[in-house]
Amino acid sequence: MGVEFTDTEFMICNAARLLEDYKTIFVGWGIPQVVAILAEKLYTPNIVQVFEFGSVGHQSRTPFLRGTMGGPTNTYRAIQWCSMNLAFSYAAAGYIDYGVLGAAQIDRYGNINSTMIGDDYNKPKVRFPGSGGGNEVASFCWKTIFVMAHEKRRFVERCDFITSPGHKMDGKTREEVGLARNSGPYRLITSKAMFDFDEETKELRLIGVLKGLTIEEVIDDMGFEPLVADDVVELEPPTQEELKLLREDIDPYGLIISKGAKFKVEI
Amino acid sequence: MDFIEIIERGEAEIHYIHPDDFREYVRDKKNREMKDKLMDEREAVKKFVSNGDYLAYDFSSLTRGPQSLIREIIRQRKKNLWVCAKFTLLETVLLSGAGCVDKIDVGFLGFGPYIARKVQNGEVKVYDWSNGSITYRLVAGAMGIPFIAARNLLGTDTLKHSGAVVVRCPFSNTPTALMPALNPDVAIIHVQEADIYGNARVYGPTVATLETAMASKKVIISAERIVETIEFRKNPLMTTLPYYLVDAVVHAPFGAYPGGTQGYYEMDSEHYLMLTSIADDNAMQKYLEEYVYSVDNHEEFLAKIGMDKLKQLIRKAEILEGYR
Repeated sequence: MGVEFTDTEFMICNAARLLEDYKTIFVGWGIPQVVAILAEKLYTPNIVQVFEFGSVGHQSRTPFLRGTMGGPTNTYRAIQWCSMNLAFSYAAAGYIDYGVLGAAQIDRYGNINSTMIGDDYNKPKVRFPGSGGGNEVASFCWKTIFVMAHEKRRFVERCDFITSPGHKMDGKTREEVGLARNSGPYRLITSKAMFDFDEETKELRLIGVLKGLTIEEVIDDMGFEPLVADDVVELEPPTQEELKLLREDIDPYGLIISKGAKFKVEI
Repeated sequence: MDFIEIIERGEAEIHYIHPDDFREYVRDKKNREMKDKLMDEREAVKKFVSNGDYLAYDFSSLTRGPQSLIREIIRQRKKNLWVCAKFTLLETVLLSGAGCVDKIDVGFLGFGPYIARKVQNGEVKVYDWSNGSITYRLVAGAMGIPFIAARNLLGTDTLKHSGAVVVRCPFSNTPTALMPALNPDVAIIHVQEADIYGNARVYGPTVATLETAMASKKVIISAERIVETIEFRKNPLMTTLPYYLVDAVVHAPFGAYPGGTQGYYEMDSEHYLMLTSIADDNAMQKYLEEYVYSVDNHEEFLAKIGMDKLKQLIRKAEILEGYR
């Protein structure tokens, strides 16, 4: 028997499984919203979502509505509506446990780029939207989870532009640049694998690969060689329960989950 | 003598007003009299938006954004604006497409290839900040202080390309980012309810409505509904903006269209998609001609969108709890 799923579905399910109940999570636009809704429905019913727009503890309504993140559907029955200043300050003061972010590029210390590609800032080859609230999420949350398609060009030795901080920026630790102690990147989930950051060196470390793939196949699709844990686990593909919720309830129009390459895994 | 050590300096040019200059502006130009400030958008923009102004707006492109005022700024072909794009999907793109913008402070500059090309070609100059750092700058501007100390941007290229400065904090002895206060020349804000004097309230997340208005020299608000002042006195905790912050009040039902306004109408996804599919200058100029230049005012614009469409959008806004 096999299960078919997209890159995006795989990443969303794996991110949702990582979260803990009775914790707070800073949720960005798009994929992170779907992660939070899936987690809330299946794994962590008491997780408290925070949006930068100024919404705390809203109760997700489905189908997920893309676009108006600060509108009625996405901020339904919140505990608090507040300012953006306050939303970020909750994170800065230590109240927010998790953050979930996407990235265009990542390096081995978990620095991410969502600003531009190229070597001349004034003449970028590609220009992205910039930090948004990503810098705050990566700077302030206790544990930041990154979600990124597994493509060679996205894993770089040094981001073309460090938009949001990882564990080490050009040789300097978070504490050395003034960021909060014991905060920062926690996991990277790609369409093929999962990574944590080595306790000592703070480098990206492979800890799981999608069932059916080898460690070599995963590393071949990276722009640098990561550390590899002694006990790399097999990552389960999305379960029928997860897929049913995603496809029938949360995102029936496939606005988010249909993106990316399609996979089939024998189970 | 003790010095505070400066560790790093961001290279961006900043829009900066000395706090004393801002205070004196507020003393001399912000009228404390409750006077009728209701006017149409043409008069408001003519009086209060000047070429070369630093422009801020609140909330977002898709929710309670001041889109009718943005279109009026374009219609009046304002030039050389410096835009605070805390997070923006439409406004900055339309303003750039119309040639109104020279510089953009970026929090989040959405909308894809059209604006990306303008940046790549150097037609508009961007300075990278983040949503949080720009918000904190507005907080400082609203507090009348010269800068705010914060812990975002640290360690990043975003900081290098922003106008923040890193110093060693004399209290914690750790590197700390100082963000210069931001006092925009003009702010445009869309609200659900206002009276004719400029008292205003918003429902839903507030983003930086109050901070933006307090920090800005000139403030134009557009409102879905004009209400009696007693509405504020009955529930003063719900007053978002007191009247003396505001210079002009424009009655603009559907003022956030094609975005939505909580409690009134949902966004128009089709119109939004049409806008986001604009990839080149031809398509942009065609859009501007059809929806901005060729209509005289917001009412004509709405007539073009049509009552059928507007009714659909009202019909979709079924969630009212929290919004009245």
